[in-house]
Amino acid sequence: MNVSELAAKANYRIYSQGEDRAVEHGYCGDFLSNIISRAPDSCAWLTVMNNVNVAAVATLIDCACIILCEKVEPDAALAARAASLGIWVLGADEDVFGAAKQVAALCGV
Amino acid sequence: MDCVRLEYDVDGENFASAGNASESVKRTLKQLGVSPASVRRVAIAMYEGEINMVIHAHGGKAIAEIYPDHIGIYLKDSGPGIADIDLAMKAGYSTATENIRSLGFGAGMGLPNMKKYSDEMTIDSTVGVGTTVYLRIDF
Repeated sequence: MNVSELAAKANYRIYSQGEDRAVEHGYCGDFLSNIISRAPDSCAWLTVMNNVNVAAVATLIDCACIILCEKVEPDAALAARAASLGIWVLGADEDVFGAAKQVAALCGV
Repeated sequence: MDCVRLEYDVDGENFASAGNASESVKRTLKQLGVSPASVRRVAIAMYEGEINMVIHAHGGKAIAEIYPDHIGIYLKDSGPGIADIDLAMKAGYSTATENIRSLGFGAGMGLPNMKKYSDEMTIDSTVGVGTTVYLRIDF
């Protein structure tokens, strides 16, 4: 399932958009060193971290989208950087576990 | 041997630009047709090095030399130096402040990740003078 379809079906907020790719994996985490070394390509990355470094890490790992959980919103610097780099940033009301279950069910990952 | 040489200033005061050098090298390697697995290793190792310079050393210089079969990365700073390199290499050990941790860094995985994803890594550090890290990643 592509990111746009996931966002629509799960009713996630859309903070920024990019290439509409298929979500092929999922990864949950907030420590950026863990994420860059372990998150698989084309994953949905679920986190509560919302600063500008999230955009840099998302680019390096080539994730399909970032999902900010627990109603976390991107700060101004992250929103600007994600928009300029063409990174999907979505927002979920659920906690990371709840959102991960949604992504797993909808995307079959 | 001829190589593609890229040089970057890493701004030590600016977390917003941290990762720019790694991203640029990653893009260049992709354009040169280097395998995605190798590109990923370079991106991880170099990003960790770049972040270390921002967190610990007020920035510095990142130089990438791209050869047909490998990349050499030099990360040079004039920061405080590393007093105990063996300790700094230990997974989970970090001197990062609480503020840095709140940004998602400071897991003590920077240097271990750089070692894990490179084929060769040397650290030349003098306390009070600075640190140069060399990373070689084979394609």
